[in-house]
Amino acid sequence: MVKKIFADGAPCKKCAEVEAKMREAGQLERLDQVIVADEADPQSAGMLLAAKYGVDRAPFFVVERAGQPPEVFTVYFQFIKKVLNATTTEDEELEEIMNDNPDLDFI
Amino acid sequence: MNNPAISIDLTDIDTELSQQSPQEIIRYALENHDNIAISFSGAEDVVLIDMAHKIRPDIQVFSLDTGRLHAETYRFIEQVRNHYGINIDVVMPEAARVEKLVVEKGLFSFYEDDHKECCGIRKIVPLRKQLLTVDAWITGQRKDQSPGTRAAVPVIQDDKAFARPDDKLTKFNPLANWTSEQVWDYIRSNNVPFNELHDRGFKSIGCEPCTRPTGPGQHEREGRWWWEEATKKECGLHAVNISK
Repeated sequence: MVKKIFADGAPCKKCAEVEAKMREAGQLERLDQVIVADEADPQSAGMLLAAKYGVDRAPFFVVERAGQPPEVFTVYFQFIKKVLNATTTEDEELEEIMNDNPDLDFI
Repeated sequence: MNNPAISIDLTDIDTELSQQSPQEIIRYALENHDNIAISFSGAEDVVLIDMAHKIRPDIQVFSLDTGRLHAETYRFIEQVRNHYGINIDVVMPEAARVEKLVVEKGLFSFYEDDHKECCGIRKIVPLRKQLLTVDAWITGQRKDQSPGTRAAVPVIQDDKAFARPDDKLTKFNPLANWTSEQVWDYIRSNNVPFNELHDRGFKSIGCEPCTRPTGPGQHEREGRWWWEEATKKECGLHAVNISK
């Protein structure tokens, strides 16, 4: 998982929420690494991964499987459903879509 | 889910398409996707229909009927349907979800909470359902509509939020780089029908309780959800140049 820290050192709200949810659900221990994307440091490991995969939001998840290209998930509920085989409610999914896509306001 | 190689390709295509006119972008979209639909809000995004209809007369169009639109907007949707001789798929929210919201919180809960819960039920659930049926969609989103939330609207994007599981959904925003003025120049010079609310000071048109006219000098964003504070996008990753 790549989580973000703002340029002023503050943690990204959604990253913290996702991390807390995953901890509560016992999913955090299933991650191999939690990497920080520090907006103040473009060379931080998370920022380099974001640039490498063309990702512009956090948190995001990189799944590596032997012999296959890496898969990148920027939508939390899709990651936990597909990779961790977890279940989510439609309300939870809607909330994430609304929070992550404020540009949908005018649709 | 995201295939990195595809994302990189889309970034390249976006760079190329960004130099082109909305008509050229729509032509590209229609030539590359058979199962594609325009999302029509009943406002000035009618220009998308006008442009697409000239290329593909039987273009698929859908509108999200939240149940709270202005009567003028319903009349306009019907006018557009007749003017172009097209079918407009009017998509409605799930009655049970709306009923539950109204029973629990009343008809105007968005003034107390915020608009997200209501928009989620009345717009996003039906939109999600509708987008499961297509491979690509076209919206009227423009960068100048909201400096806070739309400043980075690309011309083409891999829509991860609404894609079918293990599938791809491509979203086109042909008007991304156009200004409101350019849209209105197009409407006037092509005799495109428009929502009569625009003549009454409405720059941005959404649901009736959440939309109001704006005055000279006011940004169109101020005509929507004016009781809420402008929110900033929190989850974008923006490298900061810290070298001085």
